Amino acid sequence: MAKLILKNVFKRYDDRKKGKGGKVADNFAVNDLTITCSDGEFVGILGPSGCGKTTTLRMVAGLEEITAGEIYIDDTLINHLHPKDRGIGLAFEDYALYPPLTVYDNIAFNLRAKKMSEADIKKEVMRIAPLMKVEELLDMKPAALSGGQKQRVNITRALVRRPKLLLLDEPLSHLDGKMRQILRTELKRLHKEVGCTTIIVTHDQLEAMSLADKICIMKDGLLQQFGTPYEVYDDPVNVFVAGFIGEPPMNLNKVTITEEDNILYFSFPESSVKIAVPPKYTKVLKTGMHVTLGIRPNDLLIADDGSPVKIAVFENLGDEKRIGIRIGEEYLTLITSDETLYKQGDVIRLKVREDKTHIFDIETGDKIRA
Amino acid sequence: MANIELKNVTKSFGKKKALNDISLQVHDKEFFVLFGPAGAGKTTILKTIAGIELPEKGLVKFDGEIVNLVEPAQRNVSMVFENYALYPHITAYDNIASPMRSPLYKKDEDYIKDRVMKVAALMKIDHLMDRLPARMSNGQRQRVALGRCLVREPKVFLMDEPLAHLDAKLRHFMRAELKEMQANFNTTTIYVTHDYMEALSLGDRIAVINNGQIEQLGTGDEMYYTPVNEFVARLFGEPEINIIDAEFVLDGGNKGVRLLNQIKSFDIPEDVYDALVATGKTQFHIGLRAIDLSYSFERQTEHDIHGQVYSIEPIGNKAVLNVDVNDSILRTVSPPDLNAEMDSDIFVSINMKNAMFFDAESHELVVRHNQAQYTKAVK
Amino acid sequence: MFSENQSLLSRLIQNLLLIIYSIFALFPLFWMALITFKSDLQMFNTTFFFTPTLENYKAVLIGTDYIKTFIDNVIVSGGAVLVSVLAGVPAAYALARFNFKYKEDLAFTILSFKFAPEILVILPLFMIYQKLHLYDTYLGLIWVYQLITMPLLIWVVRGYFEDISVEVEQAAELDGYPWYSVFWKILLPLIKPGLVASALLAFIFAWNSFTFSLQLSGFNIQTVTVASLRYIASDTVHYGQMAVAATIAALPEVILALLIQKHLVRGLSFGAVKG
Repeated sequence: MAKLILKNVFKRYDDRKKGKGGKVADNFAVNDLTITCSDGEFVGILGPSGCGKTTTLRMVAGLEEITAGEIYIDDTLINHLHPKDRGIGLAFEDYALYPPLTVYDNIAFNLRAKKMSEADIKKEVMRIAPLMKVEELLDMKPAALSGGQKQRVNITRALVRRPKLLLLDEPLSHLDGKMRQILRTELKRLHKEVGCTTIIVTHDQLEAMSLADKICIMKDGLLQQFGTPYEVYDDPVNVFVAGFIGEPPMNLNKVTITEEDNILYFSFPESSVKIAVPPKYTKVLKTGMHVTLGIRPNDLLIADDGSPVKIAVFENLGDEKRIGIRIGEEYLTLITSDETLYKQGDVIRLKVREDKTHIFDIETGDKIRA
Repeated sequence: MANIELKNVTKSFGKKKALNDISLQVHDKEFFVLFGPAGAGKTTILKTIAGIELPEKGLVKFDGEIVNLVEPAQRNVSMVFENYALYPHITAYDNIASPMRSPLYKKDEDYIKDRVMKVAALMKIDHLMDRLPARMSNGQRQRVALGRCLVREPKVFLMDEPLAHLDAKLRHFMRAELKEMQANFNTTTIYVTHDYMEALSLGDRIAVINNGQIEQLGTGDEMYYTPVNEFVARLFGEPEINIIDAEFVLDGGNKGVRLLNQIKSFDIPEDVYDALVATGKTQFHIGLRAIDLSYSFERQTEHDIHGQVYSIEPIGNKAVLNVDVNDSILRTVSPPDLNAEMDSDIFVSINMKNAMFFDAESHELVVRHNQAQYTKAVK
Repeated sequence: MFSENQSLLSRLIQNLLLIIYSIFALFPLFWMALITFKSDLQMFNTTFFFTPTLENYKAVLIGTDYIKTFIDNVIVSGGAVLVSVLAGVPAAYALARFNFKYKEDLAFTILSFKFAPEILVILPLFMIYQKLHLYDTYLGLIWVYQLITMPLLIWVVRGYFEDISVEVEQAAELDGYPWYSVFWKILLPLIKPGLVASALLAFIFAWNSFTFSLQLSGFNIQTVTVASLRYIASDTVHYGQMAVAATIAALPEVILALLIQKHLVRGLSFGAVKG
């Protein structure tokens, strides 16, 4: 139950190149990261591998040195505090449960180290165990547990110390589909019940979206966007975030602005297909401009007054139908619950939901706002 | 181009029966999917067809001829392995060219170059031809493996989870690519996956495998609309289908099913009613897909089921809303920005049109509305 | 920055320690090479400065049949390694790929040959060899040397085979290659580092072997190790000549080791390529 503030945090690894006599590498694993996590919030740090998310978590935990910047837990500067003095609970990727101890002893381990009485320890363990549904497992040894069970014990062990902050590093990555879904729901509920400020690191955008109150998206050490799941989904600030969040991914296509009869259109190169530009963008777009057009698959609609396109791929997936369309060199995906069973080669008329179009600068990738 | 048949095939590894009396037939030029959870036996079936594994019992036939004793190399099949199995010490070009340099399928270097570059262009890896596998990403290796499989024209393509180790975004694109290519494959293809979307999208027919046995064999529609049992029903659809107890109610003139804590039971279509009566039972399991459930924060009718919000998980353009009803969880969908207090009251209503009824003991499908429309489920 | 200075100092100390250790390790070899050029007269009253002479070399190379001894060593060690490779590689493959009863017991038994001190088995072997007329023959020595050369080879090469996923072989089969092509074109290149490293190491062990050749060979075949004993005469030790014998004996393995240094470490660390 605490506030976490990262202020201009940098992390650089010393990289001694042979023969160059002590030259330090120039690239930052974490580059000028500033975020604030409110008390009780569930924050997800999300990004592809190598983006700096795990490094950030390890700096908060105290397992990595902070090259520059400050980290505060509840107004206390923790840069130089030993991990055990930071009041955090860690549940990291490799379960690291002590094999010869039972689940109960594993969970109690930390408390015993603090010289708590056995009666108090029992009280604490029995308080947390039902929340993570591990009571039946207390007498078992780690070797007898499944991946999902091990992970639940891991988190219980972190929580039993009543930490100010709970840090989870890719907790669901080694679990299969169904187990992941179940544990995701349990984690979400657990967070609501325990109310502990939680930071989760993951490369799975679905996990971050479904669990976190706020998501911090990173790439190459830099913060891309920090907002609620809905914010990063509905209003991505650049092409990277736009293409990273959402399954299936947002359609991001290169288009040129053309004009016909005083109306502006997004025109697809090497084709006659064009989509009318929503009125709100007319002030910022000029004929001849090249931009990246972003539309989510479910914001592309089949409508009688749309532009005709040919279907390249039709997928009947039960709950929904997915249609792939080739326009010149560009490829778009569309999701619909329209019951019609189309075929490859059929022509449909395409329209976009006007308020759900996004435009990005073709060079910088930044969003162009109306 | 071949018709592949497995007849009563049994295969064990030590004490474990990997395949238990499996019989299936793959038609010429069909794209046939083997679908099921990990460890079900799908890869074993593929390897049995390839000749890499030999069954203890049963026959493997290509075009009617028994090939049990034919060496893998002689069977003229091409395979993509789940872990790619690329030759680590040679370049991508040489990997893809390899099948055409073997004594059995030898071709001259000009022909090889033409075919390899064609396949490389198709897989969009033409710029990687001189690289060694160790210097490629997972996605690139997968495409080299696929290229090596597609470069020849064998009797059958065997693909073992070719998209399994790719990240979600790449998987999405590769699946669409495969589907586009599929139209041009002139060859029987047998494809293994544990991802139901791949199965539904790519398969002409699907065989659901579990514990070495075929649960159901049929088209994607048959699987989705008339699964032969609860196990198959759970495999298709995201979020997972809801399966709960249903009580068949015959009192007074009230013909319907009562679920959970309903005040008034649901009416059911005639054909469903007739089938349920015919069984003579009153306790069933009902399967309801998330999209057939709707919710409201106020009671709308007496049919509504009363529960509490358990959790809301936004997943992009929608959210999975979990409702707790007497310790059973009902899954439905909602807009992603739905703001509801945990444990607050909520009422769920159901569209019975797509409901499926299963026998409470055998878990097999008893009936669903308009069943004939989706063709009878075949085992 | 402060941290950089720190490392500079520690690096200086590290290098100094390494130099001291190098002197300690290499000096005996240097000294041995040095005294090959010293006459017996100057052996004890000079250290580094003396009049070099080739009389020791003349005495050893021309005066005795040292050259034959050297060649014998080559034949026996080389032959032993060759047999180990030809028999050991298929054995390693079998242990890596197949499952049969008592497999691990068999594997451990093979490895245990290296644990047992040679002197334990020398007497029974001597008697058996006499009976089989293998005493003092090339075949006899090559055969007994398998106890030295084969275990390491099988152990290392087995690890390499295990690192190659079986699907790579299956893929080659399906591509249309017969089993011998699969072995030659696919497996061999992948186990080469391990095979080369362990074969060379086995050669070095065989080359240095003393006990077996002492007891199991007599006049016909003498390895250099045994031959060196000759220079301990009843009245005096011809250090110079012994040094020549030892230096020439050491030359091949030193050269080999220098040449394959890189491969030795890489090859022995089971770092076969992951498919």
